[in-house]
Amino acid sequence: MTAVITGLGVVSAFGVGAPAFFGALAEGRSGIGPIRSFDCATFPTRVAGEAPTIAADQLPPSLVASGAARDRKLGFGLVAAREAWASAGCGEHERAASLVIALGLEQAFLGDFEPIFDGTIHWDREPTSTAPRVRFRSPVDLTARAICDELQLRGPRIVNASACAAGTLAVAHAAALVTRGDTDIVLCGAADSMVNPLGLGGMCRLGAPSPRNELDACRPFDRSRDGLVIGEGAAMFVVEDEARARGRGARVLARIVGWGSTQDGYRATAPRPDGSAACAAMLRALTRAQLPAGAIGYINAHGTGTPLNDPAECKAIHAALGSHADRVAVSSIKGAIGHLMAASGAIELAASLLAFERDLLPGTAHHRDRDPECNVDVIGPEPRRARVDHVLSNSFGFGGQNASVILGRPR
Amino acid sequence: MTAMTAAIVATSWRTPLGNTRDDVSRRMRAGERAAITNPFASSYALQHVAPIRSAPAASRNDRFLRRMGLYGMEVAHEAFAAAAIPASARYGFFTAVGGLRAHWDDMLGALANQHDSGEDAWERGLKHVHPYWMLRHLSNNVHALASAELGLRGEGATFGGATAGAHAINAAIRALHDGAIDAALVVAYDSLLEPETLVELGERMAADFIPGEAAAAIVLVRAASPAAGALGHVELTVPSAEHDHAPTAPITELMGHLGAATAVVQAIVTTQEQR
Repeated sequence: MTAVITGLGVVSAFGVGAPAFFGALAEGRSGIGPIRSFDCATFPTRVAGEAPTIAADQLPPSLVASGAARDRKLGFGLVAAREAWASAGCGEHERAASLVIALGLEQAFLGDFEPIFDGTIHWDREPTSTAPRVRFRSPVDLTARAICDELQLRGPRIVNASACAAGTLAVAHAAALVTRGDTDIVLCGAADSMVNPLGLGGMCRLGAPSPRNELDACRPFDRSRDGLVIGEGAAMFVVEDEARARGRGARVLARIVGWGSTQDGYRATAPRPDGSAACAAMLRALTRAQLPAGAIGYINAHGTGTPLNDPAECKAIHAALGSHADRVAVSSIKGAIGHLMAASGAIELAASLLAFERDLLPGTAHHRDRDPECNVDVIGPEPRRARVDHVLSNSFGFGGQNASVILGRPR
Repeated sequence: MTAMTAAIVATSWRTPLGNTRDDVSRRMRAGERAAITNPFASSYALQHVAPIRSAPAASRNDRFLRRMGLYGMEVAHEAFAAAAIPASARYGFFTAVGGLRAHWDDMLGALANQHDSGEDAWERGLKHVHPYWMLRHLSNNVHALASAELGLRGEGATFGGATAGAHAINAAIRALHDGAIDAALVVAYDSLLEPETLVELGERMAADFIPGEAAAAIVLVRAASPAAGALGHVELTVPSAEHDHAPTAPITELMGHLGAATAVVQAIVTTQEQR
């Protein structure tokens, strides 16, 4: 069996919907802007890849009433799931689908704290039964439950919480379920948001964001790179067996031909500098795909724009692809939409589909002067026209969780 | 779904009924129940709880981990050592964490002086958040620390939610059967006793619901492996979509609801029964 993608839904700094996402990538635009969803005037970082707030009337009333919908990732995940489900033409026959979803980088769902900062709680007044209050109602699988409820999915739901590798691992898990014949069809993907006071504040204290407050702050593979920009959003996919998809007349967007994961086993707070474990993840994906390194035409890199990650990833690419590493095109979309954390791998797989949809390889926004330590063929800010048959997408999470997925052009 | 099994070659756990196989086995055979009266019964709807009785050992990892994470590290180290299988790039690692809620107690200093409007939130306290605060709340922090300390470099993933333990076991079994790895450490931990969780469970669960907590680890190898001096076997399961705190295992009656740790604790109990 071969797992294929037949549905796609996206929410990002480029707006709601896959067409908006592909359109912006094709134009080489950047979605980074000043944070508008809360007052961050005194924060060290004040820019992000902020996605549009999902209106309350598009969310389940019960979750709005309970305050759970305050968590932005809930809306992003739901809207992306609806789009993916509809675009794949799924209906009653697909309700037994499993759901594999990656959600949330953090255990504490930071949005729960929003009432402290947005004026809905008044500390100088006595609490009443009707007054807003902080409600800790965001279990890790809240969005998964909401998606299952709305789309009436009856299959098992699996929540992947592997930090920044989670979205890629969720799609790989879905492909494995389909390929092994464990299930016919899976809705999978990821949603995340850290664009809130505690998320942004915590990341600032950790020192991960670029200290620049400029719209081009994140510069993957650039000599002047100095950190990431936070993003938010979701990407969801319908993954099913190719024969099933053909049988029901579904349009195939890509084949999922290989995947692999490893751990650095090095340090909790830094990637293994030689990139050897990241290399092993790519090699496992190639082995599973039964492809030689030369078959890869494009790599969508994890490419965070941090000083340590980018050169380690380039070393890994060279180790995995050998001499072909000098010829393969590499880009990162994190400069354009920010780092979506748990959802980054999913949305970067979505971006990789541009190679098959339009014969365009996404550009690397704000990349100008390639760091000699990043000795790969980095695509500049403009997308590059090319026809490739296989693309590889990397995600390397906090604590050294590495994941790679290879997509193939539809047959 | 294809029937698949793996051999369990090492175990470790922290449970409401004890921390060693013999202790727990003896208490289970005696039908002993772990539930005690909730020490804060006047504040919560749920009147009984089943806590782990011992505190985690002091650790330099308390910079990054809270109580349950520290238990997770302890059982990871113990099971890994008991298995005596050298760390390598073919040693997988799969972890499961519960649907943990927001934790507020380590944020009080940052929140105490906030203004209603959210104005100057950074200056009013967030700038004092510890740099590691974010890391302490990451869902994969045990995965990150244990893989580094033990040198595990094979396939792996972290799963979340009430059935996470079953999915972690499933992923390990599949990776073993695929030949991607030769051994897998599976670690699960969860607590339903944290204040936020108790409040929520008290609002939606029956009064006789007993929240518990546990950390458990098993090392798996292929069932046919010559290294399998097996304590028992575990097989692939299909967790139901309707799973939230359902009484999914007989151990629930004895230990309370263990959330994400249920499947791994159950696997260890099964090894005792298989012996």
